Amino acid sequence: MLMSGLKAQDLADTISLGAVEIRDSLIIRAPFVTTQVTKAILQAAPTRDVGDYLRSIPNVGGIRKGGGAIDPVVRGFKFSQLNVVMDGGIKIENGCPNRMDPVSAHVEVEELAKINVVKGPFLLNYGPSMGGVIDLQTEVPRPYAEFEIHGNAMFGYESNWEGAKEHFSLYGGNSKIYFIANGGYRKYGDYSSGGSGSESVTYKTSFRKANFGAKVGYAITSKQSILLSYSEVHGRDVMFPALTMDEKSDDTRLMAMDYSVKNLPGILKTLDVKVYRTNVAHLMDNSNREMWKTKQMVADVDAINTGGKAILGMKIKNHNLSAGLDYENIYKDGVRTMTMLMMGTTSTKKFNLWNKALIRNAGLFAGYNTVIKTVALDAAIRVDYNNADSEDTLVLIKNGVEYFNKTASQFVNVSANLGVTHYFADNFSVSLALARGTRSPNMLERYIKLLSVGYDNYDYLGNPQLKPETNNEVDLTFKYSNPKLGNMYVNGFYSYVQDYISAEMLPPSVIKPSTLGAPGVKQYVNVDRANFTGFEIGYTSPNTYKLGLIVVAAMTYARIPEVTKYIITSGQVTGDTLLKNDALPEIPPFETTISVNYRLLKGKLVPKISYRLVAAQNHVSEAFYEPETPGFSLLNFSIAYTITKNVNINAGANNIFDVSYYEHLNRKIVGSTEKLYEPGRTFFVTLNLSI
Amino acid sequence: MQIKYALYLSILLGALLLTNISCNNDDPDVDETTGYISFTFTHTVDGLALQKDIMKYVNAAGNPYEINQVMYFISDVTLHKSDGTKKLISDWTDNHYVDIDIPSTLTWDVYDDIAAGAYDSITFIFGFTAEKNKSFMFVNPPEVNMMWPDILGGGYHYMMINGSWKDNENVIKSYAFHMGIGQLYKSNAYDKVDSIYAFVQNYFPVSLPASAFTIEKDKTRNIELIMNIESWFKTPHIYDHNYWGGAIMQIQPAMQMAKENGFDVFEIGVIR
Repeated sequence: MLMSGLKAQDLADTISLGAVEIRDSLIIRAPFVTTQVTKAILQAAPTRDVGDYLRSIPNVGGIRKGGGAIDPVVRGFKFSQLNVVMDGGIKIENGCPNRMDPVSAHVEVEELAKINVVKGPFLLNYGPSMGGVIDLQTEVPRPYAEFEIHGNAMFGYESNWEGAKEHFSLYGGNSKIYFIANGGYRKYGDYSSGGSGSESVTYKTSFRKANFGAKVGYAITSKQSILLSYSEVHGRDVMFPALTMDEKSDDTRLMAMDYSVKNLPGILKTLDVKVYRTNVAHLMDNSNREMWKTKQMVADVDAINTGGKAILGMKIKNHNLSAGLDYENIYKDGVRTMTMLMMGTTSTKKFNLWNKALIRNAGLFAGYNTVIKTVALDAAIRVDYNNADSEDTLVLIKNGVEYFNKTASQFVNVSANLGVTHYFADNFSVSLALARGTRSPNMLERYIKLLSVGYDNYDYLGNPQLKPETNNEVDLTFKYSNPKLGNMYVNGFYSYVQDYISAEMLPPSVIKPSTLGAPGVKQYVNVDRANFTGFEIGYTSPNTYKLGLIVVAAMTYARIPEVTKYIITSGQVTGDTLLKNDALPEIPPFETTISVNYRLLKGKLVPKISYRLVAAQNHVSEAFYEPETPGFSLLNFSIAYTITKNVNINAGANNIFDVSYYEHLNRKIVGSTEKLYEPGRTFFVTLNLSI
Repeated sequence: MQIKYALYLSILLGALLLTNISCNNDDPDVDETTGYISFTFTHTVDGLALQKDIMKYVNAAGNPYEINQVMYFISDVTLHKSDGTKKLISDWTDNHYVDIDIPSTLTWDVYDDIAAGAYDSITFIFGFTAEKNKSFMFVNPPEVNMMWPDILGGGYHYMMINGSWKDNENVIKSYAFHMGIGQLYKSNAYDKVDSIYAFVQNYFPVSLPASAFTIEKDKTRNIELIMNIESWFKTPHIYDHNYWGGAIMQIQPAMQMAKENGFDVFEIGVIR
């Protein structure tokens, strides 16, 4: 009775959801919200980078500063509040302090086999997690009984940007040695915003990116295997009109070794060990800006992340346990060179952005899940020891207040979660999940020195004595699945964040900005608390019908109980005032997407139309002088045609009505109060070949 | 009974003593009420409001001249009380940039809370002290445009007054009456920058006469600060454009003269 009930429920939990393309993404059995995006979905979308695609998942937004490298925001959590990893554990320290290269920008969409998004601090075996986990799983070679070799090719084009992309992969092997090698190139030009509603504007958003890599696996025995991976991603002349500099070059090298043991007899079932090293060399400047003639800025940053993890999987009757440890060593060093060409003379000064800064994090974690009659239990715990130091010589003390002095800090952080799912029937369940996730401050928050890295144009200064930030979250999820009616889920969440890391202005008498255009300096600080609350709902019709319908909607509401607002009059700070219950900045508004598709020719030809409606964001941060964002609606159309089993083509048009709009999270154009608009009408076509 | 009275008396005396001690702990001079201050900057020539871009003025040396631009910094503004205590304005910023072409710079709404009470005088530094005048201190306009080349001492101009004058042949020439860090040249040839052997700090303190005022709780006291531009060219030295020429930022004797003339350039106007 129990087992049959669970089997039925496991099937019922396979709820297809998503936004742009929902057909194959899954809400797996878990007491919290997990979204998986498969390769088929990714191939069908005209996606320039991973962050761009992630924005189509409910309650996932993205911060746009240029043509690509969109930085994901999940339920209002962003940057290091999210744990973005590759292949279940590879960490990448972004080189750019302005986050021109979030982790998701160091991997190309075509390399991915799957994206797994976990909202909330529920997945603790990939490292400290506070707001959620985004796991980018690249393609992994597999053994073949006999030697085989296959290949894939992808060619894509997008109008508006005149964007072209191509990607090739070769994979195969035999039962002992197997491999995959791939590479790609993409070149996009400047895009224009929509011309309906206001005048179309062309933004300098061009970029070039190339990538290549290889993985080789060796089956030591039928249960043991080893996998070696190496890849490189190179960005060139990546333009960011919403930042003070552009990316001149970004060279990323990733290497990893995985050892795996599976199907062991006894209690110990699996052992997975991973070691990795990722290296990012990032160079940016303002050579494409008018100001270069008189004021030149060049920033050169090296970021190295070295680490590893080991995890044991165990099973005792119907009790599943996992336990493991991981370690991460982050090194970051960077210099900014400022040159002023004025009055016929040249003055040059070098500033440290980071000075041989180090963060080390060692964690122990354990997970447990079981099913007792109609109740499933999930629990996890994690303990981290985090220490950091830097060779900074900056000392900033005024009137006895130490703004920047001692650079070393150590923390022990405990994270844990517990989820209970009650199956009321074969097709209906209610889950309650409680979690506490703590993360230590990152490199930027601890040690950055005077660069515009935040929401506003202020220069930011790190704070070596910041405390860790903790998210206490509760999720309530209802799931319903019916083969004839479809699948749906409703989730509500509430987060109470302690020691929320925000920023406050520093007086110019303490420190003045160093970045052109920065009106002042802000320093990262812990504020007492912040609250996030919201919901997500989703519905998909059954796959058995020709007509498919998908509806998703999501919203996050975030506020800070007390925050200082600085009163700025004619560009001068003339006072301050304490605000109660102010909005947090950069929280996306309510939005909903309705998609309709129809399967023709036995599913070989699938036209799809989707309508996305985004509400105005009027709940904005007064303290950050955040402007309101008007609502908008978009209509997209695509058609997928599987010509043969080896050839398929996706084509369509996004923003059919050429709407002039911008997302609330888009940053402002440097030197103006205008937001960077999204692309106008764009036609796309993608051809996938496989042999 | 007497013991009882003695005990009562002791308690009473003790209580009085404690009261007295606790009263003494309350410093009657500490006034925690505060108000605000703001400055308005006005510029005059010969007692009248500056009219720029018109060749209507004549300086003490007899040079007909006009003024096109006036830009300068003041820093370390200090408010002095008669009891010797003082308030350095630096809670938010310790300097202010003034540009006659940028109206927002002509008012400085000071961020600092100022203790209520009577103040005797105001002093400030014209320009910046050597300790504070560092290159790259400002990176944004308009302040960054006051940069002083590193090779000439670095930091920022204290002041730029740009305009033109008529020379003895009635030829109109441009002048750049600029002040900043001066240089000493081995050769006395001011354009030979490789012969610079020392730098001279030309900032100077300004003490404003008749600058007594009071600050009242939660009220803003506005003080008008007047720059009498013609004073740069007289007392104690007569400054002659025909003698010093157009640009003086590499001529330390000219800047020294300006520095010494600067003592009476500023005065307090209306206090309201």
